[in-house]
Amino acid sequence: MAYSGDISEKGRFEMPAVQLSKAASRSDVFPRLLAIQKALKARSFSALRVAGVGMPGRRKLESHVENWDPVVGGGSSAFIAAYGELLLQHLDASLLPLVWNAQSGDSFADVSDFAPFIVQMKPRLLSNSGIAFPVRLGAVGNGIVIFATNSGMDLSGEAILDAHGRCCKLMMDILALEERRLTPSDALSDREIACLQLAGDGRISEEIADKLGLSVHTVNAYLGSATIKLDSVNRIQAIAKAIRLGYIH
Amino acid sequence: MEVDYLREEPERPGLPVDVRAPTGGPTREQMIARLSMVAGSGNIGAGLRILTEYVGASLYLLARYDLVQEAGLDFVVCSNWPFDLVRRVEAELATAYARTTELDKCQSLLQPKFALLPDDAEVPAGVDRHFCSLTFNVGRTRLALLMLFPVDIALSPDRLREVGLLAGYCVSLSASRGQKTDREFELTDRELECLYWIAEGKTSDEIAMILGISRNTINNYITSVMRKTATKTRSEAIAYAVRNNLV
Repeated sequence: MAYSGDISEKGRFEMPAVQLSKAASRSDVFPRLLAIQKALKARSFSALRVAGVGMPGRRKLESHVENWDPVVGGGSSAFIAAYGELLLQHLDASLLPLVWNAQSGDSFADVSDFAPFIVQMKPRLLSNSGIAFPVRLGAVGNGIVIFATNSGMDLSGEAILDAHGRCCKLMMDILALEERRLTPSDALSDREIACLQLAGDGRISEEIADKLGLSVHTVNAYLGSATIKLDSVNRIQAIAKAIRLGYIH
Repeated sequence: MEVDYLREEPERPGLPVDVRAPTGGPTREQMIARLSMVAGSGNIGAGLRILTEYVGASLYLLARYDLVQEAGLDFVVCSNWPFDLVRRVEAELATAYARTTELDKCQSLLQPKFALLPDDAEVPAGVDRHFCSLTFNVGRTRLALLMLFPVDIALSPDRLREVGLLAGYCVSLSASRGQKTDREFELTDRELECLYWIAEGKTSDEIAMILGISRNTINNYITSVMRKTATKTRSEAIAYAVRNNLV
């Protein structure tokens, strides 16, 4: 049975490769953030990424790249101390942008017509105001991009939407850059990947051996070498890492 | 023989990459104003109708990927596709999803893709056999918005991305109203905590030490996780947890 149309067979495998090679360079990230900052009429930005995985208490936000004007005050660390917990919880539940307002009324972030889609972080804890865009990519690369000001920001729905879309792209590019850097010099072999995949699918070593036509000892050896290459202490951790890194499904 | 219906195409030859708003369609400002009005009600369908019209498409289907691998139509959050068509694409959707790695998925957020419907699927008159899909995440849930559009209409990638983002906003608003309980709620905090430590490579003894409870209790938690997630081994349970963003 033929598949329909004029679609070339190789088409389907091209997607990830194309995306990776299109990823921006490191020096490109900063000016792009600066452009978004300008469009929002903000004075500072920081791209925060989620560090650590697992239980909420074990994760925290870390600034990946930032431009913080001293007149805005505070800095990203003060911001994380004030709202970090709240943002991590938000990132687990919602895609809506958030705004915060300064203690004094001189500095504010206003979103008049777009208010239904904005979450207000109620406590006024800082000397600056701004907007935060949650970006959830999946198992890796999640974060929040924040833009702050010491004066006022009047944000239209269109500007917010634009900025959020660009922040999503940016966080994907940061992830792509990182993955390129992390590509292990001793990449996993096909056999190691096959064994990990089957183990992740709930097969025990005997079944994997049967399926791949190997001996149980060989299967265990492959799983062992994969565990070392993935810098893990046992095969379970190796499976978890292999999924997060995209070696297996 | 396996037939790849949902194979992605790198590009669609012969179609303009970008187009202006379809004549007579709402402007972005109007669309945002209308969407703001329905957003508060938690009615995802009303929001998606507005977004579908804005982008120039005809029919929408919003799917939850965490439920797509299971039998049944629970994965459909909201749709105005013909029912038979939804049934027809169900299996292919799961296969297509399983074919890409988590990393690829993380790097295709809000990227519109076009694919072909199965040959034997019946589409409403005037509707293209291609459909457009894009994914986004609301919290730990990954969703896909699939859209059918009229023949001879080209959808603007920029508008599609905006629509994806706004669809995510609408889902976020309604999610707080408890549309459908999240899967992870089936697992208790303690069970999740155990899963997390196992994924970090800890043994039952070590976890017992960390959490200050007995090793047997840990093993009971893990058995319970395996029962709830219908997995056969610890490895599979962890793989399940990582795939579903539970740890």
